[in-house]
Amino acid sequence: MRKPLLFLFLFTALAAIVSGCAQDPPEKNEPPAVNEIEVTKDNLVLVKGGSFGNTKTNYYDKKVTIDDFYIGKYEVTQKEWMEIMGSNPSAFKGDQLPVEMVSWYDAVEYCNSRSIREGLKPYYNVNKNKIDPNNKSEYDPIKWTVTINEGANGYRLPTEAEWEYAASGGQLSKSYTYSGSNDADEVAWYWRNAGDEYLSGDWNWPIIETNKNRTQSIGLQKPNELGLYDMSGNVREWCWNWYADGDPGSASGGSFRVVKGGGWIGDVSNNEISFRGKFEASGFGPDQGFRVIRGA
Amino acid sequence: MFKWNKKFLTAFLAATMILSSFAATASANTYWQNWTDGGGTVNAVNGSGGNYSVTWSNTGNFVVGKGWATGSPSRTINYNAGIWQPSGNAYLTLYGWTRNSLIEYYVVDSWGTYRPTGTHKGTVTSDGGTYDIYTTMRYNAPSIDGTQTFQQFWSVRQSKRATGSNVAITFSNHVNAWRSKGMNLGSSWSYQVLATEGYQSSGSSNVTVW
Repeated sequence: MRKPLLFLFLFTALAAIVSGCAQDPPEKNEPPAVNEIEVTKDNLVLVKGGSFGNTKTNYYDKKVTIDDFYIGKYEVTQKEWMEIMGSNPSAFKGDQLPVEMVSWYDAVEYCNSRSIREGLKPYYNVNKNKIDPNNKSEYDPIKWTVTINEGANGYRLPTEAEWEYAASGGQLSKSYTYSGSNDADEVAWYWRNAGDEYLSGDWNWPIIETNKNRTQSIGLQKPNELGLYDMSGNVREWCWNWYADGDPGSASGGSFRVVKGGGWIGDVSNNEISFRGKFEASGFGPDQGFRVIRGA
Repeated sequence: MFKWNKKFLTAFLAATMILSSFAATASANTYWQNWTDGGGTVNAVNGSGGNYSVTWSNTGNFVVGKGWATGSPSRTINYNAGIWQPSGNAYLTLYGWTRNSLIEYYVVDSWGTYRPTGTHKGTVTSDGGTYDIYTTMRYNAPSIDGTQTFQQFWSVRQSKRATGSNVAITFSNHVNAWRSKGMNLGSSWSYQVLATEGYQSSGSSNVTVW
């Protein structure tokens, strides 16, 4: 695989910041907790693999082990999308806003196009002429057959397990409910806080629309334990997997692909790391985006 | 306005009016009172107990309702609409969501100038009247689970129900009738309210729910 051209080693006292110094001060003579997080020039963060440490994920204690991978520090922005795809489908326009109104197929095409642009081997084989027999959706008029180039070094969508592993802090996890906090307002743009005023009461679309709720620029909320931003909230993120009730990741087909992290429209429960969202692969909306990953 | 609004919502003008509610407990959603939309005005008052009142004028889409934070398929919803005076397009309706599966449902007892409709599935007789059962689809539309494609279930009374006295909606009759038509609600119940909804209309209502 292509080596990242530049490594930035960030030495931060992230863990201490995240957990709140006042509540959990370091012991005397003990240096502050230091995490070494490797970030490439493309803003990909190296996630060290292992088993799930976050007790609130769907994979805790399930004997699931994740390999090392790189994941986008941010959701794919409209600037990044435009550089690869040329046009901008987003409902809310801005270079630093996450791209939205993208279907799962759009996200797959972006991954391959970006791989080609950067001299990487595309991770996906996309057959637009063969209807995917595993796609059972009533509402998906596209149904391209998408398969994996095993071992390719190109960009791809995270699996649901990889997404949860990264969102929950990997080996640095503090077992938060949301990615980076137990308080959604600290880390997530969601229906209460993503508009002109902070909303109270029940979830309510006319109020949300009237309040001019919208996507927000990437990286404004607090990052999680791995330095990843907006894993909870802003836009929901496409994952590779089919959605099925029961064991995550077990389905070989279905009606939906998995979406994770919740966005600025849905109820805050959608923003929990463990929430298993789903959407037709052809679906799109102003709260639907993605982030990319690559093998390490 | 968002792209998908233009793409998908126009054809569903009445069917897509999305409801809102006061908190199901007695706490008032004061934020929402007196907001305006497109030059229109909505004055909503969260009364004591199960009472609410609303007057509206030349509005966009609005809803005021009162009910329960967690819906139930077996609940009998009692209400008295002491005032129900729509001028234009408005509904007096039981409204709620289920999740997993994501379904938005309505039992419409009265309306203004437009009686909602959809794909006709049959009828159900309940609480002294006959309701037509409809389904409608919403594609890539906002929901409590973010943008989704989902079904709406409707029971719409064949003639407007008289207001001004204590009446009930035996919701289980609708749930059972829907199920017999293959219309299965989800397993997780979100809020359930008796609501006044208006769209590009004026009017007033005063409703007590219990």
